[in-house]
Amino acid sequence: MLELKDIKLAYGSAQILNGVDLSVERGDVVSIIGPSGTGKTTLLKCINYLAKPASGTISFDQIKMDYQRPDKTAVQAIRLRTAMVFQQFNVFKNMTVLQNVMDPLVVVQRKSKEEAKEIALHEIERVGLTSRCNHYPSQLSGGQLQRTGIARALAVRPDVILFDEPTSSLDPELVGEVLKVIKDVTSSGITSLLVTHEMQFAKSISNRIVFMDRGVVAADGSPAEIFDSPSSPRLAQFLNSEYSFQ
Amino acid sequence: MDVSAMIPELLSALPLTLAITFTAMVAGFCLALVASTLRIRRVPVISNLVDIYVSYARSVPVVLQLFVAFYGLPLLVALFGAADFFSPNVAAMVGLSLYHGGYLSEVMRPAYLAVDRGQHDAADSLGYTFRQKIFRIVGPQAIHIGLPGYGNSIIYLIHNVALVMYIGAADVMATAHLIMERDYNQYQFETYLVLAVIYSVLCLIAWLVIRFFELRSPMQAPEAKATTQIRHALISNA
Repeated sequence: MLELKDIKLAYGSAQILNGVDLSVERGDVVSIIGPSGTGKTTLLKCINYLAKPASGTISFDQIKMDYQRPDKTAVQAIRLRTAMVFQQFNVFKNMTVLQNVMDPLVVVQRKSKEEAKEIALHEIERVGLTSRCNHYPSQLSGGQLQRTGIARALAVRPDVILFDEPTSSLDPELVGEVLKVIKDVTSSGITSLLVTHEMQFAKSISNRIVFMDRGVVAADGSPAEIFDSPSSPRLAQFLNSEYSFQ
Repeated sequence: MDVSAMIPELLSALPLTLAITFTAMVAGFCLALVASTLRIRRVPVISNLVDIYVSYARSVPVVLQLFVAFYGLPLLVALFGAADFFSPNVAAMVGLSLYHGGYLSEVMRPAYLAVDRGQHDAADSLGYTFRQKIFRIVGPQAIHIGLPGYGNSIIYLIHNVALVMYIGAADVMATAHLIMERDYNQYQFETYLVLAVIYSVLCLIAWLVIRFFELRSPMQAPEAKATTQIRHALISNA
């Protein structure tokens, strides 16, 4: 359903993505792992055009775009069918939890306030924040902020949900509550892409693992293939160093 | 002449001071909005011209800006064949609007840029249009960040209105000097004291209005609430 081809992107003289191909089928839960600075997050952001590749193509069902000729309608169509959960949460600071989840439904999807509120309350309950509904972001913990971010992403009913290192800026005690919610989301059958450093978690929820190194996809396979019999020495080395911390 | 007769005479010039202040506030705000937009969005040539304007408004002493407006604007309109309509009052309004607009744009621009990049990303990723993003998310947050700086710029504006007497506008400051000269400079201290009180009250009102909006902002609510709780706790302990 989603296919990226030959994505290339550079920030100044630093080549971040060096011809990445990635295809995702409906219902897939794909985890993208790899060392820092290899472009995992950037690749995810290319999908909804928060990062602007110099070249490459994307096709999302019938929506197609060549990044050399960016097309506003295609970008908007893709954004309307995806939702992103950010490493830094990026919950709207001027709105309560409820308003954060409702606002895109009212403003972008033009739903009535009643309908939006009903959907929002349902998703807020799903992430376990009903009691925090009317709190502002400055009154919430990191874990609660990220669960708000997830509720906001779910409420727009995306075809694909993009998790960008959702637990990387949480302290260890709060990681669990967020992972629990993500596991619940991914097991509901929604197509998900997850950039993460939580290896055990990636292994347990994904049906596919993509290993990126130096701006390219260096390995791609089932969790068993990647974790239990790593195909390349670089992947094995990376997994060893990650495990040594856990 | 005693103080009780002087106060009403001073206050009779207050409407002009207020008119100049409000005109500069409103026109300056609009100018600052345009200037900030052009400086953030970098339109070739136009943005560079705006840079020069802002640099002029911020670096040239206000009293000099008033002289430039008073003597320069008639020459400018004469170029277009129009009659000189610049009375001291109009020149004061135009001059201070230009000053306030340039100064304020350097409050607005940093406030906009201080809004976390992630807020833009989140709104973009959800499909907000630029306008929706500005009005619903980035704008309200930038206002919250910029309000204290805005309050300062309003207070500076009120102070600088006192300079319009140099180009002959009859504001409270100029009236004070008229009164003093007429009375052979007998009551200088008393007159200046009354003037100081008038300016203090104007600035106090401006500060209270800004403070009201600061506290009303949803992003402020938790901290304000926290301080109230601490104050209550302290009082009950005492």
